[in-house]
Amino acid sequence: MKMAALCGEFGDLVQIKKQLISVISLCKERGLLHSAKWASELAFALDPLPKDELPPSAPFTEEDAQDLDALTLAKSYFDLKEYDRAAYFLKGCCSQKAYFLYMYSRYLSGEKKKDDETVDSLGPLEKGQVRNEALRELRVELSKKHNAGELDGFTLYLYGVVLRKLDLLKEAVDVFVEAIHALPLHWGAWLELSNLVTNIEMLKSLSLPDSWIKDFFMAHMYTELQMIKEALQKYQNLIEAGFSKSTYIISQIAVAYHNIRDIDQALALFNELRDQDPYRIDNMDTFSNLLYVKSMKPELSYLAHNLVEIDKYRVETCCVIGNYYSLRSQHEKAALYFQRALKLNPRCLGAWTLMGHEYMEMKNTSAAIQAYRHAIEVNKRDYRAWYGLGQTYEILKMPFYCLYYYRKAHQLRPNDSRMLVALGESYEKLSQQVEAKKCYWRAYSVGDVEKMALLKLAKLHEQLNESDDAAQCYMLYIQDIFSCGEQLEHAEVSTALRYLGQYYFKNKLYNEASLCAQRCCDYNDAREEGKALLRQISQVRDQIETPSADLFTPLSNSNTPVRRVSPLNLISFTP
Amino acid sequence: MASVHESLYFNPMMTNGVVHANVFGIKDWVTPYKISVLALLYEMTASKITLPERRRLNKLILPLQQGPDLTLGQFLQTVEECCPQTAYAVKLRLHEMADGELKDMEYFFSTLPTPFTAFDSEAYKTSVVGLFMRHMLLAYNKLSFSQVYKLYKSLQHYYHSHYAKPTDGQAGLPALVADDSEMDLTSTEDTVGDRIDKEELDTPLHESELRCRGPLSQKQAEYFLARQAYLLKNDENKALKPAALQEELNNMLKFNPDFAEAHYLNYLNSMRVQDIFLSAHSLLHYFDRLILSGSEGKSNGDEGYGRSLRYAALNLASLHCRFGHYQQADLALQEAIRIAQESNDHVCLQHCLSWLYTLEQMKGSDSTVLTEDSVKMAAHFCLPYLASLGIQSLVQQGATQGKTAHKLMDALKDTDILHWKHSLSELIEISLAQTTSIWRMYGKSTMALQQAQLLLNMSSLEPVNFGVQQNNTEAFTVALCHLAELHAEQGLYSAVSEILQHLKEQFPPHSQHAKLWMLCDLKIQFERHMNEGKYLLAEPLVTAISALNKTEGLYRKAQVLKALNRSTEAYNILQRLQVHCEKTKCTEMIIRVMLSTAELHWESSGFSTALPLLLQALALARQHHLQSLASETILHLAFTQLMLGVPEQALSVLHEAIEPVLAHGAIMDKGRALLLTARCQIAAAGFKLNGQGQADLRSAVFGVDTLNEAAAYFSKLNCKERLRDVYYLQAQLHRSLGQTSQSNKSAMLFRLLDQELQSPAPPVSMRL
Repeated sequence: MKMAALCGEFGDLVQIKKQLISVISLCKERGLLHSAKWASELAFALDPLPKDELPPSAPFTEEDAQDLDALTLAKSYFDLKEYDRAAYFLKGCCSQKAYFLYMYSRYLSGEKKKDDETVDSLGPLEKGQVRNEALRELRVELSKKHNAGELDGFTLYLYGVVLRKLDLLKEAVDVFVEAIHALPLHWGAWLELSNLVTNIEMLKSLSLPDSWIKDFFMAHMYTELQMIKEALQKYQNLIEAGFSKSTYIISQIAVAYHNIRDIDQALALFNELRDQDPYRIDNMDTFSNLLYVKSMKPELSYLAHNLVEIDKYRVETCCVIGNYYSLRSQHEKAALYFQRALKLNPRCLGAWTLMGHEYMEMKNTSAAIQAYRHAIEVNKRDYRAWYGLGQTYEILKMPFYCLYYYRKAHQLRPNDSRMLVALGESYEKLSQQVEAKKCYWRAYSVGDVEKMALLKLAKLHEQLNESDDAAQCYMLYIQDIFSCGEQLEHAEVSTALRYLGQYYFKNKLYNEASLCAQRCCDYNDAREEGKALLRQISQVRDQIETPSADLFTPLSNSNTPVRRVSPLNLISFTP
Repeated sequence: MASVHESLYFNPMMTNGVVHANVFGIKDWVTPYKISVLALLYEMTASKITLPERRRLNKLILPLQQGPDLTLGQFLQTVEECCPQTAYAVKLRLHEMADGELKDMEYFFSTLPTPFTAFDSEAYKTSVVGLFMRHMLLAYNKLSFSQVYKLYKSLQHYYHSHYAKPTDGQAGLPALVADDSEMDLTSTEDTVGDRIDKEELDTPLHESELRCRGPLSQKQAEYFLARQAYLLKNDENKALKPAALQEELNNMLKFNPDFAEAHYLNYLNSMRVQDIFLSAHSLLHYFDRLILSGSEGKSNGDEGYGRSLRYAALNLASLHCRFGHYQQADLALQEAIRIAQESNDHVCLQHCLSWLYTLEQMKGSDSTVLTEDSVKMAAHFCLPYLASLGIQSLVQQGATQGKTAHKLMDALKDTDILHWKHSLSELIEISLAQTTSIWRMYGKSTMALQQAQLLLNMSSLEPVNFGVQQNNTEAFTVALCHLAELHAEQGLYSAVSEILQHLKEQFPPHSQHAKLWMLCDLKIQFERHMNEGKYLLAEPLVTAISALNKTEGLYRKAQVLKALNRSTEAYNILQRLQVHCEKTKCTEMIIRVMLSTAELHWESSGFSTALPLLLQALALARQHHLQSLASETILHLAFTQLMLGVPEQALSVLHEAIEPVLAHGAIMDKGRALLLTARCQIAAAGFKLNGQGQADLRSAVFGVDTLNEAAAYFSKLNCKERLRDVYYLQAQLHRSLGQTSQSNKSAMLFRLLDQELQSPAPPVSMRL
C-alpha cells in the first residue's frame, strides 16, 4: 500500500528529471555550486531525456535583459572570487537574479575578509571579535525585503544563512522553511535546515512542502539523528522508486551502515561506489574508517595512494592518510595528517576525534583530552569523543572520573555495548559490583559487539562466589562465541570451559564435567587442567561404582545433585 | 556540510577555527586605551606640572596601567580630576592622531622617549613606566601593516565614539546602559559605529542580538571573573543574578572558548541554583581545559597536569558532597587520595583528608580521629587554614559529645590566635559564629548574644571589601539566626521580624544559606503559635520544618500532636525519634524527646514512671553541660515531685534551677518556673485549693508575689492558657487569704479569658 503510494509519488521520473535540470541551471547562474552539484548528481542517475522533452530555460523578463551585461560581468568576477568587485557592478540592478548575486557576493566578501582578518588580528582579545561585518547590514536589508514579501527562494535561503551566522537560530529555521516552500528543489536550503534540527520532535513539528525531495531530506535527517533503521528504509524506498544509480544514495546508505557498525554491508557499498565513481573523494574518510576497523592494510594503502593522486589537499584525503598511518602504528605521522585535515577545515569533527585517538596511542593524554574537547565543542553529540575522554581518564587511572564521560557517551548511544562494557569496567574498578553486573548484562542484551560482556559478567559472578550465575554466564558466553562463527582473538573459551568443568564436577554432574574437561584439552592453556579434571572424574566414578554402604542410603535432599543449570549440548560446538 | 563558503577555508595559521594569535610570543597588545595611557605618560614627562598634581598623577599610573581598558570618557575624567591641564593636553594629542592620518600615529610612536636612552627620566628601562613603554613599543613594532592600520582605525573609533555619544540620543542602547556599572564590561566599539544601521532598521532588533555585546579583553574578563567569584563567595547579593551571569559567561565563552576560568565560574554559578547537571559539566570542562594549559610543565610532578588531575577528582568529590551524594563523593575522594598518594603530594592529600572527615561528618558518623589526624598533619605541612578548620570541626564535634567547655573555648582561642596571625578573616567569622552557637547550646543566652553582636559589628577584613560591615557568609547567617531566636525567646517579636527581614534581603531564598534562616523563621513562628495556644496554626508549619530538617520536623510534629491530645501518635513518634537520635548522637534532641515523653506520662498520671526518664535526662544534660536543658529538666522533676505530693522536695529542687532560668532562660521558661514555684509554695504552705485545712499564711504571701510575676511574663507572650491558670490560682489563693476583692478581680479576669479561649481548661495538674 505504502509502496504503491510512493511509486505514484515518484512515478513521474521524467518530471523529476525536468525539475532537476531546470534547478541546476538556476543554481549555476547564482553561483550555488554545492546545490548544483547535488542536483546534477541526482539528475545523472536518472535516464536521459529525449531532445524535445528538455525543459525550456527560465523565462527571460525585461528586467533580466536590462541587467544582462552587468550580471554577466559580475558573475565572471564572482567566479574569480572578486566579490567586492562583483557587488559593485551589481549595485542598482533590479532583477531577482542580480539581486541575489549582489547580496551573495557581499556575504561571501564578508566571510572571506573575516577569514583573512583572523590571521591579522590585533591580539588575543580580538580572537573572537573577528566577524563578518557585512552580516548586520545584509540582515537589515534582507529583513526589510522579507517583510515586504519581495524575497524569492534563493534570497530567502541567503537570508536564512545570514540569520544563522548571527546566531538567530529560531528565525533562521522559519526562514529556511519558507525558502523551502518557495523553492523546494534547492537542496542547500534543506541542508542548512538539517543543521538546525536538533531532535525528532522538532523535525516533526516543521511544516515541510510535500515534494519528492522531502524524502531525501527525511532520510538525511534520520541518519543525522542516529535513527538508522528509518533512514535505511527511506533510502531503500528511494532506490526502488528509480534512483538506484544515484551515487549520493549509495554513499548515504553506506554511511548509515557504518553508523550501525554493519561493517561488511558498508564495505560492499563503498566498493560499489568506487567502481561507479572512481575519482570521488566525498565520504572516503568513512570508507577508510571501515577499512581501518577491519585492519585491511593493502586496501587502505591503495585508497590512500589513489586519493593523494586525485587531490591531496582535501580533508577526506588527509583523514584517509591519517588512518593509514595509524594502522601502520606510525601515530605521530597520523596525528600530523589529522592536524592538516583540521587546518583545511577546523570544523571537521571526525578529524578531531581521530586525532584524539592518535594522541592516546602516543600516550599523550593531555593532547588527547584537548582534541576530544574540541570535537565536543564542534558537536556536542559526538559520542566517540565522549567515549575517548572516558578512555583517557581511565588510562590515567581515574575510574570514577571517567564514569561521567562514559555515561555521556552511553546517553548518546544507548544501545551501544562498548559504552556499557566500559561503564561496567569502571564500576568494577570502583568495586560497585551491582552496577557493574547491570552494565554487563545490559551490554549483552543490546547485542555485544566485542563479545566481552558475558565473560566479564561471568568473572564477576565468580569473584562474588555466585557460582550458578557464573556458570550460566559462561555457558551463554560459549554459545555466543560459537554461534557467531568467526574466530575472535581474545576469546577465552578455555577459561569458560575450565570453570564449567569444575562447576559440574562440584555439583556431581560427572558426564557434563567430563565433556567440558575433554573440550578443555583442545586448548593449549587449559590442557593440563582438563586432563587433571578427567582423572578426578574417573576416580570419583570408580568410587561410586565400587559398592559401598553409601550406595544404599536413601537419596535425600542433601545429597541429590541439584541440577540448576541445564547441561550443555556441547556436541554442536566446533572449536 | 556544504556550507556556502567552504572553499574559503584554507588558512594555514588556523587551528580550532581561530588563529592562535600568540604565535609570536607577544603577551601585551596595543589598544587605543593603551595609546591614551602612553599619551598621558608622554605629556607627564614633557610638560611642567605642579607638584601636588604630579603626585596625584603618579598615584594614578599604576592603576591605569594594570586595570582593565576604560572608555575614553572615563579615562579623561580620571585624569581631569588630578590635573585638568594634562587631561586637555592628552585630549589634544589624541585628537591630532584620530583626526589626522595614519602617519600621525606612527609619528607619535616614534617621538615616545625610548627607555633605553633616557637615563635620567622616569621612563628608564627598569622603571614601571619604562617597562610598560618597552612592552608597548615592542608590541607596536611587531604589528604588520594591516594590523597597524586596524589599530589606527580602532583608535579613531575609540576617539570619535567618545564625542559622538552626547550628541546621539539613541546611540549605544545596549552597551551604554550597562556602561555605568563599575565592572565596565562593555566596549563601545560595536554600538556607535553602526548608527547608520540602526537608523535604517525600522524593525525592532531581536533581544538576543541586543544583548550580544562585544568581547572583553583578557584583562577585563579576568577582572570580571575574579570579582564575580569573590562576590559569589562572600556576598552573593552583589554578584550578578544567576541568569544574567550565565548569559555573560556564555557570551564570554562564545568569543573565547579557551577561557577555562569562565567554566569554573559557570560551575559556581550552577551550584548556586543547585543545578547538578550543569555544574558537573562545567567543572569537568574546566579541568579538561586546565589540563591543557598546564601540560607544558612536568607531566606528573608538583606542577603540570598531574596536579590538576588530583584536584579535579577532589573538586568532583566536593561537588557530590554538596549535593548530598555521599557515596559518589566517597568514590571520587578515594580516587583523589589514590592519585595524590601515587605522586606524593602531601598538600593535596591533606586537602583530601579534611574533605574525608567532612564527608564522614555529613554522613553522620564519628570522625574525631580522622579530624585529629588531619589537624596534626596540616600543622606539620604548615597549612594554617586547614589546621584551624580542622580544629573548628573538632570543637563542633566535641561540643556535641560533651567535652568540657573550657577545653573547647581554649581550642577556639588558640585557633583565633592563628587566624589573626595569618589574617584568615573567613575563619575568624566562623570562629565567632561557632562560639555563639556553643554558648547558645550551653544555655548562656547573654554570652551568645554578646558573641553574635561582636561578629555582626566586626568590619570585614577582606581587602576587596575593606571597611564594609558585612559579608554574606554562612557565619553571618548563623549569627543572625541566633540573634533572631534569642530575641524571640524574650518575646521581642518586632525585633525578630526586623532581623528576619534583613536576612531575607541579604540571603534571598534561592541562595546557598537561605535554608538556615528559613528554618529559624519557621521555628520561631511555631514556638509563637504554640505559646499562644494556636495549635492548628502551628500544624502546617511542621511540614515546612520537616522539609528543611527531618529530625526537627518530627519533634515538632510530636509536640503538636501532644498539644492536640493525640497522645498515642505523639508517643510513637517520640519513640522513633529517640532511637534515631541515639543513633546520630544528637544529645540535645534526646533530652528534649525525653522531656516530651515525660510530659506524655504526666497526662496519663504516670508521674512515677516519668521520674527515671527525667533523671536520665538530667544526667545527660549535666554531662554535656547543657544548662538550659538541665534547668528545664529540673523544672520537670520538680513538677513531678509536686504531683507526687512532696512539694517541699520540689521547692528545694527548684531552687537549683530558678537562678539560671531567671538569668538566661526564655520568658516562657521564666513564667513556667515561677508558676511552678508558686504552686509549690502554695502546696508547701498546706493549702488545699478548695480552701480547707490549716495553712501557713506567711509562706502563702510569697506565692502571691510569685504568681504576679509569672502573670507578667505570660502576658508578655500573650500566652492566654497559662495566664488563665495563673488567674485561677490567684483567685483561689486570695480567697483563702480572705482578700475577697482581689479574689473577685482575679476571678473576673479568669472568667474573661475562659470565655475568650472557649476550649475547656485542662486540669491544672497536668501541665508544667
